[in-house]
Amino acid sequence: MSALLEQLARRQLVWQGNSQHTAYRAVSSGYAELDQQLAGGFPATGLIDIQTGTGIGELRLLLPYLQQQQSSGRLLVLISPLAEPCADMLCAAGIVLSQLVIITPKTGKDALWAAEQCLQSGCCASVLLWQVPLKLAQARRLQLAAEQGAASLILMRRPQQGLSLPVNLSIKLQPHRQGVLLSVQKRKGGWPAAPFLVDMQNRWPGLCFSTEPQWQARRKAS
Amino acid sequence: MALYLYLQFPALQPDSLGCTAAQQLPVAVVNEQHCIVQLNAVAEQRGIALNMALGTAAALCPNLQLLPYQPQLQLNILQSVAQQLYQITADIALDPPDGLYIRLCNMLQLYQGLAGYWQALSHELQLLPYRYYYASGATPFAAKCLARQQLNLLTGEPDTLDAALRCSPLRFSELDTDSQQQLQRLGINTLGQVLALSQAELARRFDSSLLSYLGRLRGSFYHALHYIKPEHSFSRYVELLYDITDTAVFSMPLHSLLLQLEQQLQRINAACHQLQLSLLFRGMPAYQLSIGSAQGEYRAANWLKLCQLQLDKLKLTEPVSGLQLEVTAFVPQQSQSNDLFQPVPGAVSALQLVSLLQARLGYHSVSGLRLQNQHLPELASQRPLPLLAGKAAVAALALRPAFLLAKPERLTEAVEINHGPERLCPNGWELEAQRDYFIGRNSKGQWLWLYRTAQQQWFVQGIFS
Repeated sequence: MSALLEQLARRQLVWQGNSQHTAYRAVSSGYAELDQQLAGGFPATGLIDIQTGTGIGELRLLLPYLQQQQSSGRLLVLISPLAEPCADMLCAAGIVLSQLVIITPKTGKDALWAAEQCLQSGCCASVLLWQVPLKLAQARRLQLAAEQGAASLILMRRPQQGLSLPVNLSIKLQPHRQGVLLSVQKRKGGWPAAPFLVDMQNRWPGLCFSTEPQWQARRKAS
Repeated sequence: MALYLYLQFPALQPDSLGCTAAQQLPVAVVNEQHCIVQLNAVAEQRGIALNMALGTAAALCPNLQLLPYQPQLQLNILQSVAQQLYQITADIALDPPDGLYIRLCNMLQLYQGLAGYWQALSHELQLLPYRYYYASGATPFAAKCLARQQLNLLTGEPDTLDAALRCSPLRFSELDTDSQQQLQRLGINTLGQVLALSQAELARRFDSSLLSYLGRLRGSFYHALHYIKPEHSFSRYVELLYDITDTAVFSMPLHSLLLQLEQQLQRINAACHQLQLSLLFRGMPAYQLSIGSAQGEYRAANWLKLCQLQLDKLKLTEPVSGLQLEVTAFVPQQSQSNDLFQPVPGAVSALQLVSLLQARLGYHSVSGLRLQNQHLPELASQRPLPLLAGKAAVAALALRPAFLLAKPERLTEAVEINHGPERLCPNGWELEAQRDYFIGRNSKGQWLWLYRTAQQQWFVQGIFS
């Protein structure tokens, strides 16, 4: 029996649960519950798709990850950000500003070109790309570029239905009073997960409402 | 013993016409007096000679192609030849319009004698398309006199050189025509006869220029030569063979220019940060493009890539007739050291990447971010050039939004205030302009940075992301 199993295993016809290897190298996200759900954290390379509204805490979720990515001395690139990035906030989060490049291209085509060049170059650790419509072939091309340069591309998109893109990780964020509500839609080498709360009260107390009773009490007092 | 070499190039201008079609046609160069001054080998076979009148030459050879004599072009070619030979030999002085003095004596040890030296030099000369005559001599003028007789005599023997010099006719010397005529009337036809005369007698009958020439010819007077130095700038012009309207077609002539630049940079182990490319039109002023590379670059392929990114954006309204490439400053090459243990594929450095992005997207589309020591949010962030290491001494203020709106917008929706107020006042005397900042969350769950003016008006200035 075992001889037969061995033979099948050698021909890769049998899948064994204990021989799993992770599909990507994970970098800790800085939030314990998220690390647990994602089996270690965000992928260090490849595409990360984040479907989110603006201003609900999507960048705060990524800051510890971006800071670790940057620590190897490589660049962090922001392509077509929503508005003027604020140096105070990024600096306070530990981002090295001299390793930060902001690109404001005029068209979506230029933005994709810039993203591909940055990913390929090997001198960028992470690239953030805001609100650029992406086709399947383009996503595949960016994924290959990211693998070539050992970089990660984070796509910030509005929540949308449609074909799923070839990405390492796809998550959806929803606003919540104590942080963000995160649901994993797709993960390479893992399963989608139900929505759960990423609590930001410890890291960002000023940007979370404290739990209900205390808040009401304070209101009454004032 | 001092030894000099003189190289004479009889037809620099016709020989510099690169294309093969031009080499099969008889080509001659005429000066303003309509006199033939240079000609190529084909024209020579048809019986045309130097100093022939234009009419005679045209009668001999009806399909003769004529070029006007251009002293500046001639000088440029001569300089480029000298730069090329500088790789072989150290002391080269220009002798416009068509000669080069080379001091041999201090190079012989390096090449182990005259034979080895000449092998290296003639190999370099063969790579160039120009015909040449040469001769060596104990002084620069002696070498020049022998080379002008087209003797092609190269030897270190003083006796041979002396004998050759003594029987040289006077017309190959540097004497002016008046002195030559005067000497000929005295029955003196060769330099040997002049050199045999006593100097005191000559000084009585002739002016000082003859004596100074003879002194330098003998080597008893010092002859100062201005030896060239390698250039630290680059400027080349290429006339296109036909007018070009499509920017994609530029790559061929541009690549050849960039290759010349690469050669020059490689020789002196330098790179450059900026190229000035001018597109010359027939009826319009030239269009200037400046192409930069933040990391110094010397390789032609990399420069071509940067140039093409800029040329792709360009719309030509008129055909281009010429290209001019200029580099004014060279910098020493700096070697890039890569991480030995974690090699990252793709040999692009951060500076190269920035140059590439700037070339396509425009200079101002790529920037960095710097924190200023300012309490007002509009002034705290600055967008300088990328990759500049700023002063790290400034402490960041806590709780600032990730993005600031370019212009504050009026608050039009209900928000739930979580934090505040934080009062910011631009200047102590402007109490009217003070603002009270709050952090609020709207119904969509967005965290906004709001302020209330002294007039109790509410504005949104930033978004926490």
